[in-house]
Amino acid sequence: MRKIRLCGIVSLLMCGFGICAAATRGQSQEFPVSARTLKNGMKVLVQPDRSIPNVALYIFYRIGSRNEHPGTTGLSHFFEHMMFNGAKKYGPGDLDKVMEANGGSNNAYTTQNVTVYQDWFPRSALPLIYDIEADRIRDLTFDPKKIASEREVVASERRLSVDNDNFGLLDEQLRATAFLAHPYQWPVVGWMSDIEHWTMEDLKHHFEMGYSPSNATMVVVGDVSAEEIFQLCEKYIEPIPSHTPPPPVTTVEPEQLGERRLVVHKPAELPILMIGYHVPQTNNPDFYALNILRSVLFQGESSRMYQRLVDKDQLALDVSSDVDSAFDPTLLVITAQPRQGVDPQACEKAIYEELEKLKGAPISDQELEKAKNARLVEFYHDMRTINGRANTIGTYEVFLGDYNKLFDAAKSYSGVTKEDVRRAARKYFGPNNRTIATLLPENEGKAKQ
Amino acid sequence: MTRQNKGRRLLALFGLAFMVCPFAAAQSLHIPPHQRFVLKNGLTVLLLEKRGVPLVDVFAMVKSGAAADPTGQEGLASVTASLLRKGTKTRTAQQFAAEFDYIGGTFEANAGAEFTDVSAEFLTKDLAKGLDLFSDALLHPTFPENETQKILAQGLDEVKAEKDEPQAVLRLYYNGYLYGANPFGHPPDGDELSLKRIQRDAVVKFYEGNYAPGNTILGIAGEFDATELRKKLEETFGAWPAKAVVNAPITAAVPSKGKRLLLIDKPDATQTYFAIGNIGTAVNDPDRVAIRVVNTIFGGRFTSELNEALRVESGYTYGAGSAFESRKTPGPFAIRSFTKNETTTPAIDLALQVLQKLHTNGVTAEQLASAKSYIKGQFPPSIETSQQLARRIVTDEFYGMSDDEVNQLEARVDAVTPEMAKQVIAKHFPLDNLVFVLIGKASAIRPAVKKYADKMDERAISDPGYWPPPSGASK
Repeated sequence: MRKIRLCGIVSLLMCGFGICAAATRGQSQEFPVSARTLKNGMKVLVQPDRSIPNVALYIFYRIGSRNEHPGTTGLSHFFEHMMFNGAKKYGPGDLDKVMEANGGSNNAYTTQNVTVYQDWFPRSALPLIYDIEADRIRDLTFDPKKIASEREVVASERRLSVDNDNFGLLDEQLRATAFLAHPYQWPVVGWMSDIEHWTMEDLKHHFEMGYSPSNATMVVVGDVSAEEIFQLCEKYIEPIPSHTPPPPVTTVEPEQLGERRLVVHKPAELPILMIGYHVPQTNNPDFYALNILRSVLFQGESSRMYQRLVDKDQLALDVSSDVDSAFDPTLLVITAQPRQGVDPQACEKAIYEELEKLKGAPISDQELEKAKNARLVEFYHDMRTINGRANTIGTYEVFLGDYNKLFDAAKSYSGVTKEDVRRAARKYFGPNNRTIATLLPENEGKAKQ
Repeated sequence: MTRQNKGRRLLALFGLAFMVCPFAAAQSLHIPPHQRFVLKNGLTVLLLEKRGVPLVDVFAMVKSGAAADPTGQEGLASVTASLLRKGTKTRTAQQFAAEFDYIGGTFEANAGAEFTDVSAEFLTKDLAKGLDLFSDALLHPTFPENETQKILAQGLDEVKAEKDEPQAVLRLYYNGYLYGANPFGHPPDGDELSLKRIQRDAVVKFYEGNYAPGNTILGIAGEFDATELRKKLEETFGAWPAKAVVNAPITAAVPSKGKRLLLIDKPDATQTYFAIGNIGTAVNDPDRVAIRVVNTIFGGRFTSELNEALRVESGYTYGAGSAFESRKTPGPFAIRSFTKNETTTPAIDLALQVLQKLHTNGVTAEQLASAKSYIKGQFPPSIETSQQLARRIVTDEFYGMSDDEVNQLEARVDAVTPEMAKQVIAKHFPLDNLVFVLIGKASAIRPAVKKYADKMDERAISDPGYWPPPSGASK
């Protein structure tokens, strides 16, 4: 039996890291990419594939909730919505109507680090899509009426994904506690009171700050040639002037000096446990060892945590881990849903025991090999669709600084040793480095007080 | 997790719409050639070679699903599916997991309303190993007592966990309230009471009575040599003993008359989740392509009339849409959305106005042209991967649909006229007879939502089961 999580599809798009990587046969030849940097600074990556008559076009802007400030949290995400609400040529509502009437569809997502726009369309719509993208990058408009109604839409989205979603709610509280200084402490969707109070000026400032072509990377995969894409870019995108990129985020999260703990009391059928550990940003060399480590612990029913918590001790319904692609040091979050009647502390204890084991005896050859094999399947899994490839190529380019690292990942993973995994476990899984968030069903919580 | 992914749209919300519905494709686009043969034991096999990435996708459909659950033991088909990998004649659950994980493969087994699907994905280089494991689970499960108890206990907690996610359980309440005693009303994964009644014997009996080569379609797609693979399949799956399976057809449900409303109380909800509709259509309905075109306009895409009204123009919600979930006999049709407690009735009123407008005004030539382009343009990525193709050819076989569902899609979509659209609206989109299911804070919305129906029922989300209240439940 499987639980239906409504976030399923969206998270597939985002699984960039922890999921993709690896290979044995020259993958850069299998999936050749052409690259060019436009005169205004936008980098364009193209990977032709004629297997279906469609195209996936992604634009990654290096701006997200880490570029925000208290009082206007969630602005990047709100801005993402406003990018669909009218520009000079394609007015409010026109973008979606014209795109869909030409067989295309679109979406976008915002994270702490980036805002990403996605178009999926038949190749016949290619020039139109460029006209639309150029229009909104160059001449976005801000209609007060649209701002008012979109504010309500985003409030509804927040109610859906946080206020009425126990996992979303607890995760928000965990990050707000684990980070004292760094902007990763506030939610991407924003605090409700900030959603209610953004101004037109805030939006305009955000556009000027984040949406310079030089702050973006475009990835195109599908039924195209590199040359025709570069020509379209020269015509539509290159004339758009570049401007000052966002100021660097200079705040560094100070080292955590002791365990932090928080509890959320809420009506619920089952409790939830989350444990967050500070880990480095994506382009840190420990990235590969940490992914292997997570695979050994959490991936598949033969993984150590599943075997221990779900199968053997039957303490949890499921147990998993997650790390975001991030420009700055971030959190590795372990999530477990305790079984009915199980004290979340019993889950916590079992998780610590398994982490301690990793610090002691090295993992087995079999476990190491298994983790590397899983990476290989996932690489091909991500690369099997034009959409998956556009997202993966862009994610490597933006977060690891070079899309070629995608094709070197096999080498990078095969270089990870058992000792690397043990060293990473010792380095990051200390008690002082963790924050524990527990959601207790309201009645249970009261009884314990 | 949604946390880092505040996407603009909730793709998952209505994505199920046509998942099992064999519609579609562009003229240039065809289902790739594939072969079909029937083994001596009655197993139907479909093989489709597809190059590109070195992966193989296997999809076995056992033509019995949750609809075959005995009354009072809802969830039996699902429990049986979950146990396939939990012990075979030659492997323990742990051994199976270790071997499958070692090759980096994935294995899943789920029971839907009409059928059980068992699927796997692995690298081409591991084809022999992958098939060995897959066939072992399908043909030789032993249902160990301790594993059965574990799955049942987990299932109980999963039912509870899911009730913490109103959006996920809305479908279960809606189908139950809409279909009543018809098997399509069953919760496919069971409920808090039915799972307690299931014993290992029932699982074994379900397996013996339904898992048989003659009741199964096996589809494999990906990078492989079909001739060699056929030989291999004859050795492995060919050894599966034939046996007769009595598979009672599912009685076609009759649309609900009048208006009735089920309110599910979730006292902490700040948002009301609602579904409105009636019994929809069967997969082979002759109007299926025209229905798809009209529903695209009404509630099947971002610029649909429902989403325009409830999201874009009013800001009531993050998303609104409608879907026909077509099956061998008529599946459900529903309008779905959610909105904060305070705007529950304005949002539902508006959804009903949009429905009324569809009947009064029909669709414009411009909308028709746009929807046709949209369907044709968005179809190719739905048959892009070997996983999608394996599923596609197997479900088409199950529903008795030919490759023309794909190969002729563009022509069929283009042939939809304004007159056909008008007929389809009158015939297939309910207006006066509607079923409403709402999950929300009852104390805040109860008085206002009474107006929608002559008959109103209410339960608490924490009450065991969905609808109808299972025998033994408190209410």
